[in-house]
Amino acid sequence: MAENKNGINRRHFLRDGLWAACLTGLGGTAGFLSKKTNAQNTVWQIDPEICVACGNCATYCVQEESAVKCVHAYAVCGYCRICFGFFGPEPHDINEGAENQLCPTGAIKRTFVEDPYYQYTIDEPLCMGCGKCVKGCNTFGNGSLFLQVRHDRCLNCNECSIAAACPSGAFKRVPADKPYLLKRVDRA
Amino acid sequence: MNRRLGKTNIKILVAVFVAIAIAVVAIVRLDTTGKKGSGLGKEFIYDVKDLAKIDPNLILYEETGAIGTGFKVARGIAVGFDGHVYVAGDKSIRVVFGSHWLPDDIKLADMPMCLTVTGDGKIYVGFKDHVEIYDGQGKRLATWQSLGDDAVLTSIAVSKNDVFVADAGNRIVVHYDTAGKLINRIGARDKDKNIPGFVVPSPYFDLAVARDGLLRVTNPGNHRIEAYTFEGDLEFSWGQFSAGVKGFCGCCNPVNFAILQDESFVTCEKGLVRIKIYDPAGVFVGAVAGPEQLVQEGTSRICETAAECQTGSFDVAVDTRGRIFVLDTIKNVVRIFTRIKEE
Repeated sequence: MAENKNGINRRHFLRDGLWAACLTGLGGTAGFLSKKTNAQNTVWQIDPEICVACGNCATYCVQEESAVKCVHAYAVCGYCRICFGFFGPEPHDINEGAENQLCPTGAIKRTFVEDPYYQYTIDEPLCMGCGKCVKGCNTFGNGSLFLQVRHDRCLNCNECSIAAACPSGAFKRVPADKPYLLKRVDRA
Repeated sequence: MNRRLGKTNIKILVAVFVAIAIAVVAIVRLDTTGKKGSGLGKEFIYDVKDLAKIDPNLILYEETGAIGTGFKVARGIAVGFDGHVYVAGDKSIRVVFGSHWLPDDIKLADMPMCLTVTGDGKIYVGFKDHVEIYDGQGKRLATWQSLGDDAVLTSIAVSKNDVFVADAGNRIVVHYDTAGKLINRIGARDKDKNIPGFVVPSPYFDLAVARDGLLRVTNPGNHRIEAYTFEGDLEFSWGQFSAGVKGFCGCCNPVNFAILQDESFVTCEKGLVRIKIYDPAGVFVGAVAGPEQLVQEGTSRICETAAECQTGSFDVAVDTRGRIFVLDTIKNVVRIFTRIKEE
């Protein structure tokens, strides 16, 4: 077999090609594993400062019951007697009657604390993450009610279908060791 | 045999074609971007657009001017006896005369929360926890003692020898003399004196001294304006909760007010931003502007994000000509409203 003028023969070509393929494969595998590890270290969450409570969280989750629920920042809450996260915009009366409540599923409980303060708690199994109370609280109150992805429910899909349908870009990846974006008192 | 095979193939082809067509239609109709909305029923939609409407016959004022403040964050507005308009924000005070800002701002060490201007031209500035006094040239004349870490001063009023400061953090009115000596605290809950206490869920708590010599203070959580003597006795109150235009809407309103020359009140509400007029006894007279007048990008002003909602509490001031100055803290402009002349 005659030597090539450039010193490259078929054997060298195959050997070098095999090396290149191995290195490429190794790099690809490392990259894939790195990406996967990175994805495992982050989770989906809603930025409450950007969320517009459009209602998409209730219906775009791949799960039948959305992983998004309303949460309550008690430190931000005014414990109002007339809470517009609890009452409809034109309540018939200021009491816990179903006809006065804003939440269509009755997922907010109102408890008397002391005159004139009331505490509001979310009954999570009833909450479907529609954000109606969030809108009421944002518009008229301190914005202490807000939506969050609950990580005991979220499947952490690589492509979150709610994130794709979020009109305000409020869905973001956050570190898994700090999985919630909670409201702060100084921002209220 | 071949004909039968041909018929079978055609059937299979038609079935495949139909399946592909269904799949294409399903993919095209599938909304993965949220553009078609949540698909939730009407009961899940929060809609206050109807409440944002005010009967045009009730609107007594028209907007006759607007001046940009140039501030990133504006906090308070006051009108001096000289007709100058003072606006506090961004660690400074800007003064406007006519339609022009005076060239030199009054520089402050910290973010101001509120201000008022006295007849002799002194500017009382409320910071988070204390009061400072400046002359018209911006020279600091006095710095009063801090009211503590919990204090959040939101309004200040001066009447001859008395200074009143609304402390939203402690839900109390602090009464000083003009030298800064504390005289008493007004409005603490006292069943014996029939004082309900101030309910201030958010940092909006306003006061002013009326010509009848009584201090007027908002009690936003109770949807009222209360009248106190300088000694701290509650004389009377007015106001009630209502989503209708005659009452105060939301959890805690009114957030700000000013007193006109005829002693009627200009009130401002947050949430549904409504600026309204009440007579001295608290009877609804009419509206200055509502969400439809304070439009934002062509639509009624109803906030969406938490940040926008929390900055949508406008301060108001009036001048001796009866003009109403509204500090629009979202657009950072001073809007001027003038009464529409009755024909």
